[in-house]
Amino acid sequence: MDLPQPATQTDPSTLSIAELAPLLRAGTLSPVALTEACLARIARHDNALHAFITVTADIALNAARRAETEIAAGHYRGPFHGIPYALKDIVDVEGVRTTAHSRLMPETPATADAFVTRKLNAAGGILLGKLGTFEFALGGPSWDLPWPPPLNPWNTGFLPGGSSSGSGAAVAARFVPAAIGTDTGGSVRWPAACCGIVGLKPTYGLISRRGVQPNTFSLDHCGPMTRTARDCALMLAACAGHDPLDPGSADVAIPDYAAALTGDIAGLRIGLVRNWYADDATPEVAAATDAAAEHLARLGATVEEVVLPDLGDFCDCKTLISMSELFAIHKKDLQARPEAFGAKLRQRVIGGVFIRAEDYLNAQRWRGDLARLLLAQFGHFDALVTAGWLTAADPADPAHADFFRRGRNMTMPFSLAGVPAASVPVGFGAHGLPLAMQVAAAPFAEATVLRIADAYQRATDWHTRMPTLQPGAPA
Amino acid sequence: MTAMPTNDEIALLARQAGLDLKPEYFQELVDAYGNVRRMIDRIPTGRPRGDEPAHVFVPTKFLPVTE
Repeated sequence: MDLPQPATQTDPSTLSIAELAPLLRAGTLSPVALTEACLARIARHDNALHAFITVTADIALNAARRAETEIAAGHYRGPFHGIPYALKDIVDVEGVRTTAHSRLMPETPATADAFVTRKLNAAGGILLGKLGTFEFALGGPSWDLPWPPPLNPWNTGFLPGGSSSGSGAAVAARFVPAAIGTDTGGSVRWPAACCGIVGLKPTYGLISRRGVQPNTFSLDHCGPMTRTARDCALMLAACAGHDPLDPGSADVAIPDYAAALTGDIAGLRIGLVRNWYADDATPEVAAATDAAAEHLARLGATVEEVVLPDLGDFCDCKTLISMSELFAIHKKDLQARPEAFGAKLRQRVIGGVFIRAEDYLNAQRWRGDLARLLLAQFGHFDALVTAGWLTAADPADPAHADFFRRGRNMTMPFSLAGVPAASVPVGFGAHGLPLAMQVAAAPFAEATVLRIADAYQRATDWHTRMPTLQPGAPA
Repeated sequence: MTAMPTNDEIALLARQAGLDLKPEYFQELVDAYGNVRRMIDRIPTGRPRGDEPAHVFVPTKFLPVTE
Protein backbone atom coordinates (compact mmCIF):
# COMPACT_ATOMS: atom_id res chain seq x y z
CA MET A 1 0.00 0.00 0.00
CA ASP A 2 1.27 3.51 -0.80
CA LEU A 3 1.06 5.58 2.33
CA PRO A 4 0.22 9.27 2.13
CA GLN A 5 2.52 11.92 3.53
CA PRO A 6 2.96 12.27 7.31
CA ALA A 7 0.12 13.84 9.25
CA THR A 8 0.00 17.60 9.66
CA GLN A 9 -2.16 19.96 11.68
CA THR A 10 -4.65 20.06 8.82
CA ASP A 11 -4.67 16.31 8.45
CA PRO A 12 -8.28 15.07 8.61
CA SER A 13 -7.20 12.37 11.07
CA THR A 14 -7.03 15.09 13.72
CA LEU A 15 -10.71 16.06 13.36
CA SER A 16 -13.56 14.88 15.56
CA ILE A 17 -16.53 12.84 14.35
CA ALA A 18 -18.74 15.91 14.63
CA GLU A 19 -16.30 17.85 12.43
CA LEU A 20 -15.81 15.01 9.95
CA ALA A 21 -19.44 13.99 9.43
CA PRO A 22 -20.60 17.11 7.52
CA LEU A 23 -17.46 17.03 5.35
CA LEU A 24 -18.02 13.38 4.49
CA ARG A 25 -21.71 13.88 3.87
CA ALA A 26 -21.09 16.84 1.57
CA GLY A 27 -18.42 14.98 -0.35
CA THR A 28 -15.83 17.61 0.63
CA LEU A 29 -13.79 14.86 2.26
CA SER A 30 -13.49 11.35 0.87
CA PRO A 31 -13.72 8.43 3.36
CA VAL A 32 -10.80 6.91 1.44
CA ALA A 33 -8.62 9.98 1.97
CA LEU A 34 -9.58 10.08 5.64
CA THR A 35 -8.82 6.39 6.10
CA GLU A 36 -5.47 6.75 4.33
CA ALA A 37 -4.60 9.70 6.57
CA CYS A 38 -5.37 7.68 9.70
CA LEU A 39 -3.41 4.68 8.41
CA ALA A 40 -0.45 6.92 7.62
CA ARG A 41 -0.52 8.39 11.11
CA ILE A 42 -0.62 4.89 12.61
CA ALA A 43 2.26 3.77 10.38
CA ARG A 44 4.33 6.80 11.37
CA HIS A 45 3.78 6.77 15.12
CA ASP A 46 2.45 3.49 16.44
CA ASN A 47 5.84 1.84 16.68
CA ALA A 48 6.41 4.25 19.56
CA LEU A 49 3.00 3.74 21.19
CA HIS A 50 2.02 0.09 20.52
CA ALA A 51 -1.66 0.96 20.53
CA PHE A 52 -2.53 -1.51 17.76
CA ILE A 53 -2.09 -5.26 17.78
CA THR A 54 -3.57 -5.66 14.30
CA VAL A 55 -4.06 -2.97 11.66
CA THR A 56 -6.78 -4.04 9.20
CA ALA A 57 -5.73 -1.76 6.35
CA ASP A 58 -7.33 -3.82 3.58
CA ILE A 59 -10.65 -4.14 5.41
CA ALA A 60 -10.53 -0.41 6.11
CA LEU A 61 -9.79 0.68 2.57
CA ASN A 62 -12.47 -1.62 1.13
CA ALA A 63 -15.03 -0.25 3.59
CA ALA A 64 -13.92 3.31 2.84
CA ARG A 65 -14.36 2.81 -0.91
CA ARG A 66 -17.82 1.36 -0.27
CA ALA A 67 -18.73 4.34 1.94
CA GLU A 68 -17.46 6.75 -0.70
CA THR A 69 -19.63 5.12 -3.37
CA GLU A 70 -22.69 5.03 -1.11
CA ILE A 71 -22.40 8.64 0.00
CA ALA A 72 -21.80 9.81 -3.56
CA ALA A 73 -24.96 7.95 -4.57
CA GLY A 74 -26.98 9.73 -1.88
CA HIS A 75 -27.16 6.80 0.51
CA TYR A 76 -25.78 8.56 3.59
CA ARG A 77 -26.32 6.36 6.62
CA GLY A 78 -25.74 8.93 9.37
CA PRO A 79 -22.96 10.64 11.31
CA PHE A 80 -20.87 7.47 11.72
CA HIS A 81 -20.78 6.84 7.95
CA GLY A 82 -17.19 6.91 6.77
CA ILE A 83 -15.77 7.36 10.28
CA PRO A 84 -12.64 5.33 11.09
CA TYR A 85 -12.75 3.40 14.37
CA ALA A 86 -10.90 0.61 16.14
CA LEU A 87 -11.78 -2.13 18.60
CA LYS A 88 -10.18 -3.34 21.80
CA ASP A 89 -8.76 -6.72 20.87
CA ILE A 90 -11.24 -8.74 22.89
CA VAL A 91 -14.00 -7.84 20.41
CA ASP A 92 -14.52 -10.20 17.48
CA VAL A 93 -14.24 -9.28 13.82
CA GLU A 94 -15.02 -12.00 11.27
CA GLY A 95 -11.84 -13.18 9.59
CA VAL A 96 -9.50 -11.42 12.03
CA ARG A 97 -7.76 -13.05 14.97
CA THR A 98 -8.89 -11.93 18.43
CA THR A 99 -5.80 -12.09 20.64
CA ALA A 100 -7.16 -10.75 23.95
CA HIS A 101 -3.47 -9.73 24.27
CA SER A 102 -2.88 -13.32 25.40
CA ARG A 103 -1.06 -16.49 24.49
CA LEU A 104 -4.16 -18.36 25.64
CA MET A 105 -6.21 -17.41 22.59
CA PRO A 106 -6.15 -19.51 19.41
CA GLU A 107 -4.40 -18.13 16.34
CA THR A 108 -7.43 -18.85 14.17
CA PRO A 109 -9.55 -15.88 13.10
CA ALA A 110 -12.94 -15.14 14.58
CA THR A 111 -15.80 -16.67 12.63
CA ALA A 112 -18.31 -13.88 13.16
CA ASP A 113 -18.50 -10.21 14.05
CA ALA A 114 -19.38 -9.23 17.59
CA PHE A 115 -22.77 -7.52 17.76
CA VAL A 116 -21.10 -4.18 18.49
CA THR A 117 -18.84 -4.60 15.45
CA ARG A 118 -21.84 -5.37 13.31
CA LYS A 119 -23.70 -2.30 14.59
CA LEU A 120 -20.78 0.04 13.92
CA ASN A 121 -20.22 -1.37 10.45
CA ALA A 122 -23.93 -1.10 9.70
CA ALA A 123 -23.71 2.56 10.67
CA GLY A 124 -20.97 2.94 8.04
CA GLY A 125 -17.94 2.84 10.35
CA ILE A 126 -14.52 2.02 8.88
CA LEU A 127 -12.67 -0.54 11.02
CA LEU A 128 -8.95 0.24 11.18
CA GLY A 129 -7.87 -2.53 13.52
CA LYS A 130 -7.63 -4.18 16.91
CA LEU A 131 -6.11 -2.49 19.94
CA GLY A 132 -3.87 -3.57 22.81
CA THR A 133 -5.45 -4.34 26.16
CA PHE A 134 -4.61 -5.77 29.53
CA GLU A 135 -4.61 -9.55 29.03
CA PHE A 136 -8.28 -10.63 28.84
CA ALA A 137 -9.19 -7.10 29.96
CA LEU A 138 -7.66 -7.75 33.39
CA GLY A 139 -4.03 -8.79 33.56
CA GLY A 140 -1.82 -5.81 32.96
CA PRO A 141 0.13 -3.79 32.28
CA SER A 142 2.31 -6.72 31.26
CA TRP A 143 5.79 -6.98 29.82
CA ASP A 144 5.76 -10.80 29.60
CA LEU A 145 3.28 -11.16 26.73
CA PRO A 146 3.85 -11.40 22.96
CA TRP A 147 2.86 -7.73 22.49
CA PRO A 148 4.28 -4.82 24.49
CA PRO A 149 1.91 -2.71 26.57
CA PRO A 150 0.59 0.42 24.84
CA LEU A 151 2.19 3.68 26.00
CA ASN A 152 0.69 7.07 26.79
CA PRO A 153 0.76 9.50 23.82
CA TRP A 154 1.17 12.47 26.18
CA ASN A 155 4.39 11.03 27.60
CA THR A 156 5.73 7.68 26.52
CA GLY A 157 7.45 7.22 29.86
CA PHE A 158 3.97 6.57 31.22
CA LEU A 159 1.13 4.13 30.60
CA PRO A 160 -2.33 4.87 29.21
CA GLY A 161 -4.20 3.09 32.03
CA GLY A 162 -6.27 0.05 31.29
CA SER A 163 -7.57 -2.31 30.52
CA SER A 164 -8.63 -0.57 27.27
CA SER A 165 -5.08 0.75 26.99
CA GLY A 166 -4.76 0.75 23.22
CA SER A 167 -8.20 2.32 22.82
CA GLY A 168 -7.23 5.24 25.05
CA ALA A 169 -3.84 5.68 23.38
CA ALA A 170 -5.19 5.40 19.81
CA VAL A 171 -7.90 8.03 20.30
CA ALA A 172 -5.61 10.47 22.12
CA ALA A 173 -2.95 10.02 19.43
CA ARG A 174 -5.49 10.81 16.68
CA PHE A 175 -4.99 7.41 15.08
CA VAL A 176 -8.78 7.10 15.08
CA PRO A 177 -11.49 9.50 16.22
CA ALA A 178 -13.32 6.70 18.01
CA ALA A 179 -12.67 3.35 19.62
CA ILE A 180 -14.57 0.72 21.54
CA GLY A 181 -13.30 -0.25 24.96
CA THR A 182 -14.79 -2.52 27.57
CA ASP A 183 -15.38 -1.69 31.22
CA THR A 184 -15.88 -4.16 34.06
CA GLY A 185 -14.50 -2.07 36.92
CA GLY A 186 -13.30 1.02 35.07
CA SER A 187 -11.50 -0.19 31.96
CA VAL A 188 -13.02 2.44 29.66
CA ARG A 189 -12.87 5.30 32.16
CA TRP A 190 -9.37 4.79 33.56
CA PRO A 191 -7.60 4.89 30.17
CA ALA A 192 -9.85 7.76 29.11
CA ALA A 193 -8.72 9.64 32.24
CA CYS A 194 -5.05 8.86 31.63
CA CYS A 195 -5.23 9.82 27.96
CA GLY A 196 -7.30 13.01 28.20
CA ILE A 197 -10.30 11.75 26.24
CA VAL A 198 -13.97 11.01 26.98
CA GLY A 199 -14.82 7.40 27.81
CA LEU A 200 -18.37 6.32 28.59
CA LYS A 201 -19.38 3.20 30.44
CA PRO A 202 -23.06 3.08 29.56
CA THR A 203 -25.81 1.45 31.58
CA TYR A 204 -25.35 -2.31 31.98
CA GLY A 205 -26.98 -3.94 28.97
CA LEU A 206 -27.17 -0.89 26.68
CA ILE A 207 -24.45 -2.20 24.32
CA SER A 208 -24.35 -5.92 23.58
CA ARG A 209 -21.41 -8.00 24.80
CA ARG A 210 -21.97 -10.85 22.34
CA GLY A 211 -18.73 -11.71 20.59
CA VAL A 212 -16.65 -9.99 23.29
CA GLN A 213 -14.34 -12.03 25.52
CA PRO A 214 -15.82 -12.04 29.03
CA ASN A 215 -14.21 -10.67 32.16
CA THR A 216 -17.13 -10.71 34.61
CA PHE A 217 -20.54 -11.55 33.17
CA SER A 218 -22.49 -9.55 35.73
CA LEU A 219 -20.34 -6.43 35.31
CA ASP A 220 -19.10 -6.35 31.71
CA HIS A 221 -19.91 -3.36 29.50
CA CYS A 222 -18.73 -2.12 26.10
CA GLY A 223 -18.27 1.62 25.82
CA PRO A 224 -17.36 4.36 23.33
CA MET A 225 -14.07 6.24 23.69
CA THR A 226 -13.73 9.52 21.79
CA ARG A 227 -12.21 12.94 22.27
CA THR A 228 -15.46 14.80 22.94
CA ALA A 229 -18.78 14.15 24.64
CA ARG A 230 -20.54 14.95 21.36
CA ASP A 231 -18.55 12.28 19.54
CA CYS A 232 -19.35 9.87 22.36
CA ALA A 233 -23.06 10.57 21.83
CA LEU A 234 -22.73 9.92 18.09
CA MET A 235 -20.82 6.66 18.57
CA LEU A 236 -23.16 5.47 21.32
CA ALA A 237 -26.18 6.00 19.06
CA ALA A 238 -24.44 3.89 16.42
CA CYS A 239 -23.66 0.91 18.66
CA ALA A 240 -26.35 0.78 21.38
CA GLY A 241 -29.39 -1.42 20.96
CA HIS A 242 -31.06 -4.62 21.99
CA ASP A 243 -29.43 -7.95 21.16
CA PRO A 244 -31.70 -10.91 21.85
CA LEU A 245 -28.67 -13.22 21.93
CA ASP A 246 -27.02 -11.37 24.84
CA PRO A 247 -28.96 -12.29 28.01
CA GLY A 248 -27.78 -9.08 29.64
CA SER A 249 -28.96 -6.86 26.80
CA ALA A 250 -31.57 -4.24 27.65
CA ASP A 251 -34.58 -3.87 25.38
CA VAL A 252 -34.97 -0.10 25.49
CA ALA A 253 -35.51 2.63 22.93
CA ILE A 254 -32.29 4.39 21.89
CA PRO A 255 -32.74 8.15 22.09
CA ASP A 256 -30.97 10.80 20.03
CA TYR A 257 -28.17 11.40 22.51
CA ALA A 258 -26.65 14.25 20.51
CA ALA A 259 -29.95 16.14 20.60
CA ALA A 260 -29.64 16.37 24.39
CA LEU A 261 -26.36 18.28 24.13
CA THR A 262 -27.78 21.77 24.42
CA GLY A 263 -24.87 23.28 26.29
CA ASP A 264 -27.32 24.28 29.01
CA ILE A 265 -27.03 22.64 32.43
CA ALA A 266 -28.68 25.43 34.40
CA GLY A 267 -30.81 24.00 37.16
CA LEU A 268 -29.33 20.51 37.09
CA ARG A 269 -28.63 19.15 40.58
CA ILE A 270 -25.18 17.59 40.89
CA GLY A 271 -23.87 15.66 43.89
CA LEU A 272 -20.11 15.97 44.38
CA VAL A 273 -18.72 12.79 45.98
CA ARG A 274 -15.60 14.23 47.61
CA ASN A 275 -15.14 11.54 50.25
CA TRP A 276 -13.98 9.10 47.56
CA TYR A 277 -11.04 11.29 46.58
CA ALA A 278 -10.46 14.12 49.07
CA ASP A 279 -7.96 12.19 51.19
CA ASP A 280 -6.68 9.58 48.76
CA ALA A 281 -6.17 11.40 45.46
CA THR A 282 -2.98 13.20 44.56
CA PRO A 283 -3.27 16.95 45.26
CA GLU A 284 -3.37 17.75 41.53
CA VAL A 285 -6.27 15.32 40.93
CA ALA A 286 -8.23 16.62 43.94
CA ALA A 287 -7.69 20.25 42.93
CA ALA A 288 -8.64 19.62 39.27
CA THR A 289 -11.82 17.77 40.28
CA ASP A 290 -12.83 20.48 42.75
CA ALA A 291 -12.18 23.11 40.09
CA ALA A 292 -14.27 21.21 37.54
CA ALA A 293 -17.16 21.00 40.00
CA GLU A 294 -16.90 24.76 40.60
CA HIS A 295 -16.96 25.24 36.83
CA LEU A 296 -20.18 23.23 36.58
CA ALA A 297 -21.67 25.46 39.27
CA ARG A 298 -20.66 28.55 37.28
CA LEU A 299 -22.48 27.04 34.31
CA GLY A 300 -25.67 27.07 36.38
CA ALA A 301 -25.79 23.63 37.98
CA THR A 302 -26.49 23.31 41.69
CA VAL A 303 -23.50 21.44 43.11
CA GLU A 304 -23.83 19.98 46.59
CA GLU A 305 -21.39 17.71 48.39
CA VAL A 306 -22.70 14.25 49.22
CA VAL A 307 -21.07 11.49 51.30
CA LEU A 308 -21.38 7.91 50.04
CA PRO A 309 -20.08 4.63 51.55
CA ASP A 310 -16.33 4.18 51.60
CA LEU A 311 -14.74 3.54 48.21
CA GLY A 312 -13.09 0.41 49.61
CA ASP A 313 -16.51 -1.22 50.16
CA PHE A 314 -17.36 -0.91 46.46
CA CYS A 315 -13.92 -2.11 45.40
CA ASP A 316 -13.78 -5.18 47.64
CA CYS A 317 -17.33 -6.17 46.70
CA LYS A 318 -16.64 -5.77 42.97
CA THR A 319 -13.30 -7.57 43.15
CA LEU A 320 -14.76 -10.61 44.94
CA ILE A 321 -17.54 -10.94 42.37
CA SER A 322 -15.07 -10.53 39.51
CA MET A 323 -12.48 -12.96 40.87
CA SER A 324 -15.11 -15.62 41.32
CA GLU A 325 -16.48 -15.26 37.79
CA LEU A 326 -12.98 -14.97 36.31
CA PHE A 327 -11.92 -18.18 38.00
CA ALA A 328 -14.87 -20.01 36.48
CA ILE A 329 -13.88 -18.66 33.05
CA HIS A 330 -10.14 -19.37 33.27
CA LYS A 331 -9.84 -22.35 35.63
CA LYS A 332 -9.40 -24.94 32.90
CA ASP A 333 -6.41 -23.07 31.45
CA LEU A 334 -5.06 -22.23 34.89
CA GLN A 335 -4.87 -25.92 35.70
CA ALA A 336 -3.69 -27.10 32.28
CA ARG A 337 -1.19 -24.39 31.21
CA PRO A 338 -0.55 -21.77 33.90
CA GLU A 339 2.73 -20.83 32.20
CA ALA A 340 0.78 -19.50 29.19
CA PHE A 341 -0.79 -16.76 31.31
CA GLY A 342 0.91 -13.44 31.82
CA ALA A 343 1.91 -13.31 35.48
CA LYS A 344 -0.52 -10.49 36.28
CA LEU A 345 -3.55 -12.26 34.83
CA ARG A 346 -2.63 -15.49 36.58
CA GLN A 347 -2.11 -13.73 39.91
CA ARG A 348 -5.45 -11.90 39.64
CA VAL A 349 -7.45 -14.95 38.66
CA ILE A 350 -5.89 -17.52 40.96
CA GLY A 351 -7.51 -16.17 44.15
CA GLY A 352 -10.94 -17.08 42.84
CA VAL A 353 -10.24 -20.66 43.92
CA PHE A 354 -10.77 -19.57 47.53
CA ILE A 355 -14.12 -17.83 47.02
CA ARG A 356 -16.93 -20.17 48.01
CA ALA A 357 -20.43 -20.07 46.54
CA GLU A 358 -21.60 -18.60 49.86
CA ASP A 359 -19.04 -15.79 49.61
CA TYR A 360 -20.04 -15.02 46.02
CA LEU A 361 -23.72 -14.82 46.88
CA ASN A 362 -23.05 -12.69 49.95
CA ALA A 363 -20.92 -10.39 47.79
CA GLN A 364 -23.88 -10.13 45.41
CA ARG A 365 -26.10 -9.25 48.38
CA TRP A 366 -23.52 -6.61 49.36
CA ARG A 367 -23.67 -5.34 45.79
CA GLY A 368 -27.40 -4.92 46.24
CA ASP A 369 -26.88 -2.84 49.41
CA LEU A 370 -24.27 -0.61 47.78
CA ALA A 371 -26.21 -0.20 44.53
CA ARG A 372 -29.36 0.78 46.43
CA LEU A 373 -27.44 3.41 48.39
CA LEU A 374 -25.89 4.86 45.25
CA LEU A 375 -29.06 4.71 43.14
CA ALA A 376 -31.04 6.44 45.91
CA GLN A 377 -28.94 9.55 45.24
CA PHE A 378 -30.66 9.96 41.89
CA GLY A 379 -33.89 10.74 43.70
CA HIS A 380 -32.24 14.00 44.73
CA PHE A 381 -29.51 14.56 42.17
CA ASP A 382 -29.55 14.49 38.38
CA ALA A 383 -25.91 13.40 38.37
CA LEU A 384 -22.94 12.60 40.57
CA VAL A 385 -19.46 13.97 39.98
CA THR A 386 -16.19 12.70 41.42
CA ALA A 387 -12.57 12.26 40.39
CA GLY A 388 -11.80 10.19 37.29
CA TRP A 389 -8.94 8.30 38.95
CA LEU A 390 -6.92 8.93 42.12
CA THR A 391 -3.68 9.64 40.25
CA ALA A 392 -2.49 10.63 36.82
CA ALA A 393 -1.05 7.86 34.63
CA ASP A 394 1.40 5.37 36.13
CA PRO A 395 5.01 5.18 34.94
CA ALA A 396 5.81 2.61 32.27
CA ASP A 397 7.90 0.69 34.75
CA PRO A 398 7.38 -3.02 35.46
CA ALA A 399 8.53 -2.41 39.03
CA HIS A 400 5.82 0.19 39.73
CA ALA A 401 3.29 -0.78 42.41
CA ASP A 402 0.39 -2.84 41.04
CA PHE A 403 -2.79 -0.74 40.95
CA PHE A 404 -4.82 -3.92 41.48
CA ARG A 405 -3.56 -4.26 45.04
CA ARG A 406 -4.33 -0.64 45.95
CA GLY A 407 -8.00 -1.62 46.24
CA ARG A 408 -9.27 1.94 45.74
CA ASN A 409 -10.41 2.40 42.16
CA MET A 410 -12.58 5.48 41.62
CA THR A 411 -14.54 3.81 38.86
CA MET A 412 -15.90 0.76 40.65
CA PRO A 413 -18.92 2.27 42.45
CA PHE A 414 -20.61 3.06 39.14
CA SER A 415 -19.63 -0.37 37.80
CA LEU A 416 -21.38 -2.11 40.69
CA ALA A 417 -24.47 0.06 40.32
CA GLY A 418 -24.53 -0.51 36.54
CA VAL A 419 -25.19 3.18 35.87
CA PRO A 420 -23.78 5.32 33.04
CA ALA A 421 -20.54 7.09 33.94
CA ALA A 422 -18.10 9.03 31.80
CA SER A 423 -14.54 10.15 32.30
CA VAL A 424 -14.05 13.74 31.14
CA PRO A 425 -10.69 15.57 30.88
CA VAL A 426 -10.33 18.43 33.38
CA GLY A 427 -6.70 19.48 33.09
CA PHE A 428 -3.09 18.44 33.00
CA GLY A 429 -0.70 17.69 35.84
CA ALA A 430 2.93 16.83 36.34
CA HIS A 431 4.81 15.35 33.35
CA GLY A 432 2.15 16.78 31.02
CA LEU A 433 -0.29 14.03 31.94
CA PRO A 434 -4.08 14.48 31.72
CA LEU A 435 -6.42 14.60 34.72
CA ALA A 436 -10.12 13.74 34.70
CA MET A 437 -13.44 13.81 36.50
CA GLN A 438 -16.27 11.29 36.30
CA VAL A 439 -19.89 12.19 35.68
CA ALA A 440 -22.54 9.56 36.45
CA ALA A 441 -26.32 9.49 36.30
CA ALA A 442 -29.31 7.18 36.78
CA PRO A 443 -29.72 4.01 34.68
CA PHE A 444 -30.26 4.86 30.99
CA ALA A 445 -29.64 8.57 31.64
CA GLU A 446 -26.64 8.61 29.28
CA ALA A 447 -28.03 11.80 27.78
CA THR A 448 -27.66 13.56 31.15
CA VAL A 449 -24.08 12.38 31.56
CA LEU A 450 -23.16 13.52 28.06
CA ARG A 451 -25.05 16.80 28.40
CA ILE A 452 -23.00 17.74 31.46
CA ALA A 453 -19.75 16.57 29.86
CA ASP A 454 -20.52 18.49 26.67
CA ALA A 455 -21.42 21.68 28.52
CA TYR A 456 -18.13 21.45 30.40
CA GLN A 457 -16.18 20.88 27.18
CA ARG A 458 -17.86 23.85 25.48
CA ALA A 459 -16.56 26.01 28.34
CA THR A 460 -13.04 24.54 28.50
CA ASP A 461 -10.35 23.60 26.02
CA TRP A 462 -8.61 20.61 27.59
CA HIS A 463 -10.01 18.26 24.94
CA THR A 464 -8.68 20.38 22.08
CA ARG A 465 -5.04 19.94 23.10
CA MET A 466 -3.08 17.42 21.12
CA PRO A 467 -0.08 15.34 22.20
CA THR A 468 3.15 15.81 20.29
CA LEU A 469 3.98 12.43 18.85
CA GLN A 470 7.44 11.24 18.00
CA PRO A 471 7.99 8.96 15.01
CA GLY A 472 8.42 5.36 16.08
CA ALA A 473 11.33 3.15 15.22
CA PRO A 474 11.03 1.44 11.84
CA ALA A 475 8.90 -1.70 12.01
CA MET B 1 -9.30 -11.25 60.29
CA THR B 2 -9.52 -15.00 59.96
CA ALA B 3 -6.30 -16.70 61.07
CA MET B 4 -3.93 -17.46 58.18
CA PRO B 5 -3.88 -21.19 57.43
CA THR B 6 -0.67 -23.09 56.87
CA ASN B 7 0.72 -23.52 53.38
CA ASP B 8 -0.38 -27.17 53.43
CA GLU B 9 -3.91 -26.10 54.31
CA ILE B 10 -3.93 -23.54 51.48
CA ALA B 11 -2.76 -26.19 49.04
CA LEU B 12 -5.49 -28.51 50.28
CA LEU B 13 -8.16 -25.82 49.86
CA ALA B 14 -7.03 -25.25 46.30
CA ARG B 15 -6.97 -28.96 45.51
CA GLN B 16 -10.45 -29.41 46.93
CA ALA B 17 -11.60 -26.69 44.53
CA GLY B 18 -9.97 -28.53 41.65
CA LEU B 19 -6.73 -26.59 41.32
CA ASP B 20 -3.48 -28.46 41.77
CA LEU B 21 -0.67 -26.18 40.60
CA LYS B 22 3.03 -26.78 40.12
CA PRO B 23 5.26 -25.67 43.03
CA GLU B 24 6.53 -22.60 41.15
CA TYR B 25 3.07 -21.03 41.40
CA PHE B 26 2.51 -21.84 45.06
CA GLN B 27 3.61 -18.46 46.41
CA GLU B 28 1.09 -16.79 44.09
CA LEU B 29 -1.58 -18.97 45.65
CA VAL B 30 -0.52 -17.99 49.17
CA ASP B 31 -0.46 -14.27 48.29
CA ALA B 32 -3.89 -14.55 46.68
CA TYR B 33 -5.31 -16.31 49.73
CA GLY B 34 -4.41 -13.40 52.02
CA ASN B 35 -5.85 -10.85 49.61
CA VAL B 36 -9.10 -12.76 49.09
CA ARG B 37 -9.54 -13.56 52.78
CA ARG B 38 -9.22 -9.88 53.68
CA MET B 39 -12.02 -9.01 51.26
CA ILE B 40 -14.28 -11.89 52.28
CA ASP B 41 -13.95 -10.86 55.91
CA ARG B 42 -15.33 -7.42 54.98
CA ILE B 43 -18.62 -8.75 53.55
CA PRO B 44 -21.41 -7.65 55.89
CA THR B 45 -22.96 -10.65 57.64
CA GLY B 46 -26.11 -11.38 59.63
CA ARG B 47 -28.49 -10.98 56.72
CA PRO B 48 -32.14 -12.06 56.72
CA ARG B 49 -32.71 -15.38 54.96
CA GLY B 50 -34.73 -13.74 52.22
CA ASP B 51 -32.16 -11.06 51.32
CA GLU B 52 -31.91 -11.42 47.54
CA PRO B 53 -28.50 -11.19 45.85
CA ALA B 54 -28.06 -8.62 43.07
CA HIS B 55 -28.95 -11.01 40.31
CA VAL B 56 -32.25 -11.96 38.77
CA PHE B 57 -33.10 -14.77 36.36
CA VAL B 58 -35.32 -13.72 33.45
CA PRO B 59 -36.46 -16.89 31.65
CA THR B 60 -37.39 -15.05 28.47
CA LYS B 61 -33.74 -14.05 28.06
CA PHE B 62 -32.89 -17.69 27.43
CA LEU B 63 -35.58 -18.55 24.90
CA PRO B 64 -34.15 -19.87 21.62
CA VAL B 65 -33.63 -17.00 19.21
CA THR B 66 -32.99 -17.11 15.50
CA GLU B 67 -31.50 -14.07 13.85
